[in-house]
Amino acid sequence: MTAATAEADLTILVIDGDPDRAAVVERGLVEAGWLRVSVIGPSVNLLQRVQALGPDVIIIDLENPDRDTLEQMFQVSRAVRRPIAMFVDQSDSAMIRGAVEAGVSAYVVDGLRQERIKPIVDMAISRFNTFDRLIRERDEAQARLADRKLIERAKGLLMKNRGLAEEEAYTLMRRTAMKQNRKLSDIAQSVITAFEMEF
Amino acid sequence: MSETVKLGVVPLIDCAIPVVAHEMGFAAEEGLALDLVREASWAAVRDKLAFGLLDAAHLLAPLSLAMTAGLGGTPAVPVVAPMALGLGGNGITVSTALFERMKEAAPEVMAGPRGQSARALGKVIEADRAAGRPRLSFASVFPFSSHTYELRLWLADAGIDPDRDVNLGIIAPARMAESLHMGWIDGYCVGEPWNLRAVQRGVGVVVAAKADIWPNAPEKVLGVREDWAAERPDTTAALVRALVRAAQWADAAENRPALAAILADMRYVGVSPKILEPALSGRPVLRPDAPAEALDRHIFYRWQATYPWPSRAIWLLDRMVEAGQAALSAADATALARRVFRDDLYAAAVESLGVPVPEADVTVIGTHDAPRDVPARGGGTVTIGPDLQLGRRTFYPFGRDAASEAT
Repeated sequence: MTAATAEADLTILVIDGDPDRAAVVERGLVEAGWLRVSVIGPSVNLLQRVQALGPDVIIIDLENPDRDTLEQMFQVSRAVRRPIAMFVDQSDSAMIRGAVEAGVSAYVVDGLRQERIKPIVDMAISRFNTFDRLIRERDEAQARLADRKLIERAKGLLMKNRGLAEEEAYTLMRRTAMKQNRKLSDIAQSVITAFEMEF
Repeated sequence: MSETVKLGVVPLIDCAIPVVAHEMGFAAEEGLALDLVREASWAAVRDKLAFGLLDAAHLLAPLSLAMTAGLGGTPAVPVVAPMALGLGGNGITVSTALFERMKEAAPEVMAGPRGQSARALGKVIEADRAAGRPRLSFASVFPFSSHTYELRLWLADAGIDPDRDVNLGIIAPARMAESLHMGWIDGYCVGEPWNLRAVQRGVGVVVAAKADIWPNAPEKVLGVREDWAAERPDTTAALVRALVRAAQWADAAENRPALAAILADMRYVGVSPKILEPALSGRPVLRPDAPAEALDRHIFYRWQATYPWPSRAIWLLDRMVEAGQAALSAADATALARRVFRDDLYAAAVESLGVPVPEADVTVIGTHDAPRDVPARGGGTVTIGPDLQLGRRTFYPFGRDAASEAT
């Protein structure tokens, strides 16, 4: 997915309410050879910024409330450079579906050939998906870390208050979890709650 | 085992019908589980509905027509509206600064009927033009929305050319008050609670309510893809029944305080019940420090507010042609209106509820200043609301050629 030299002159604007995701998309595009990439965040005077930048392609997150504003701008635009939604050219409906599912929408200057836009939209889709996966993994890692802390704390409470060895405390919780068909961290939470209520 | 229907809603008072269907158990009683998804923009609703990320949506009535015809730079995705989600409920708000200028320019106009308040705006525009100041900017919520057509009607009635005398833009509903506050726009047309929110914040004044421009006008519909409805006739009918029962519940005056509390939830409108309740009860304060008005309370069910009247779709298509958004012959408009506004699906779905349906699916619009009874299918009558428009415009939805014969 490298931009041919001839394509590198396209001006791309990334609009995203999430600055972290915008940065991920921007980096992906720049690393692939599109050098003229700008990023704008939420709550700016969108129309003026877009008009000043005059992008060939706009990548904007599907959920962005500014899309309604952006679309109207295109509809009333009397300028030669008239951007349109990428949905107009349905020659690659798989790409469009992929974009909508990934939460990407794109607007392009009318007349720009589909094959010039496709790699840009593909890159944005892949970056959105990667970003989603990273966020999910981070959340899961945080949840696992939180679970481990709970289990450690419950183990400590059982050792201190019931005189169990570390291994015994762990086995007791593990067995209870299996018997009740619950997660080990839930049992740990119950243990903590029980001791906290006692004191 | 209940069937899940993923339904997109935009934070506005008229998202109440699907929300009530879910919260008050009407959907469950029809064997449906509604998965309500709050959407920030109409473009997102359109795209997700088109590509199957949503099964159904709280949709701008004109957008259901535009999607089916492929207007506005998107491919044609046939959508059907097996019911309407209430009538009216919009307002036009201007910034406090513009309101002061309008009062100063034409105090007699501002003391008169609210529907004619744009005449004062006309004086302000004249003064701006003479002084070489830039044009004022107004926003609607989407190109294909009754808001756009109401704003245009309000301006045009005062001799203001909506395309040349002002800038017309688009801003998502929940961003209106903030944009007015930031000075990006001078006024807007939006559904509640986003007019009253501006009054409450002290940044705007409501200069016209929907009822001042065209009472009981079409507003939102339940939108589903045509193929989705064809593949799931039972689900579609169950969904219509659940939503009609929800509309009946929401329409009752005694349920309005409870409804305000439900809608205040962040998953739905996310605005204080203190703002929602006056909007729902028709007792809003439109100008800061003024007494509450006595408007009709928001119409969810009464006056056939859930019946997808094909003549109203034809009227909307006529507005699209007038605004330069579409080029349609009268015959094409009628065919498109009937393809989208499926009153046959509505009538079949609500039969078991004993809900009456008007006999004539096409009527003249704009000639009635009081509620009236019209014949119902299978005998009896139904009552429909007044529809006198600003400027006394009458619309004959039988095609422009037939208009002269009908008069």
